[in-house]
Amino acid sequence: MRSHADHGAAQRLASTAVLLAIACALGYLESVLMPPLPLPGMRLGLAYIVIVIALAIHGPRVAAVVSLGRVLLVALAVGTLGGPQFLLSFGGAVAALAAMVVLSYAGPSFSVVGWSVLGSAAHVVGQLLLAAALVSSTAPLALLPVSLALSVPLGLAVGYTARLLVSRIPDLSLSAAGR
Amino acid sequence: MTRGDVLVVIAIVAVALLSVPSAGAMLAPAGGAAVLHGPGGSTTVDLSSPGTYVVEGRSGQVEFRVADGEVFATSAECPDHLCVGMGAAAPGRPVVCAPNGVSASIVSGRGEGLDAVSR
Repeated sequence: MRSHADHGAAQRLASTAVLLAIACALGYLESVLMPPLPLPGMRLGLAYIVIVIALAIHGPRVAAVVSLGRVLLVALAVGTLGGPQFLLSFGGAVAALAAMVVLSYAGPSFSVVGWSVLGSAAHVVGQLLLAAALVSSTAPLALLPVSLALSVPLGLAVGYTARLLVSRIPDLSLSAAGR
Repeated sequence: MTRGDVLVVIAIVAVALLSVPSAGAMLAPAGGAAVLHGPGGSTTVDLSSPGTYVVEGRSGQVEFRVADGEVFATSAECPDHLCVGMGAAAPGRPVVCAPNGVSASIVSGRGEGLDAVSR
């Protein structure tokens, strides 16, 4: 059984807002400051550090608010809301969140590192499937092998970073993140 | 990492390796033609005939150039211009502008399938 920190409603709301703000800042900075990776749409996924932390500390509902809220707010900031880029980001976020939530309920056999790796892979698969639908062609799916291979080290980096950060936060009772 | 995490990594790497033949099959070996896809339809272009092609995308135009048997994007009206930086399309490696819904992929010269599809 996974345990979550015992916060009051106000504390949870404040914590969610802080996590959402950090995720938005990381997502926005990554999109405008960092050079793109060799594959189209690939990012380091810095915002997922925060999303994984939100899932570990508060659970799926807060993680969903942080993840999907981040996509919406960053799209508003860069002016892509409702466009194809937003659809790709949203689809990837939904796929990643679903995968991480499923694994988080799978038991103590999986830690935040495993959640992050699976979420990273699900993100790229979701985006490539959506891209294929947008261009009405299977051509984007030809990028699947390399994208999946790249998603593993990126997911590991995000997962280990999230675990390190959570371990530095006092007064939290975490069974999954502590491993 | 737990044992379960290691299994997740192994499973993803295995899926990536297993998807290599399928990914290659989606785009046939290099031939003399490329297919330019866009929201308005698809066009087959002959790679032996140099030229410039403009494809109307969802939010702008993407310009492709055929030269020296290759097709590559030369300009795009999208935020990142990732397609322009991808270089020439190759079998298994299409040039894709996802925001515009436009792509250029190499197809076989053996005449498999349709030459063009208009919608």
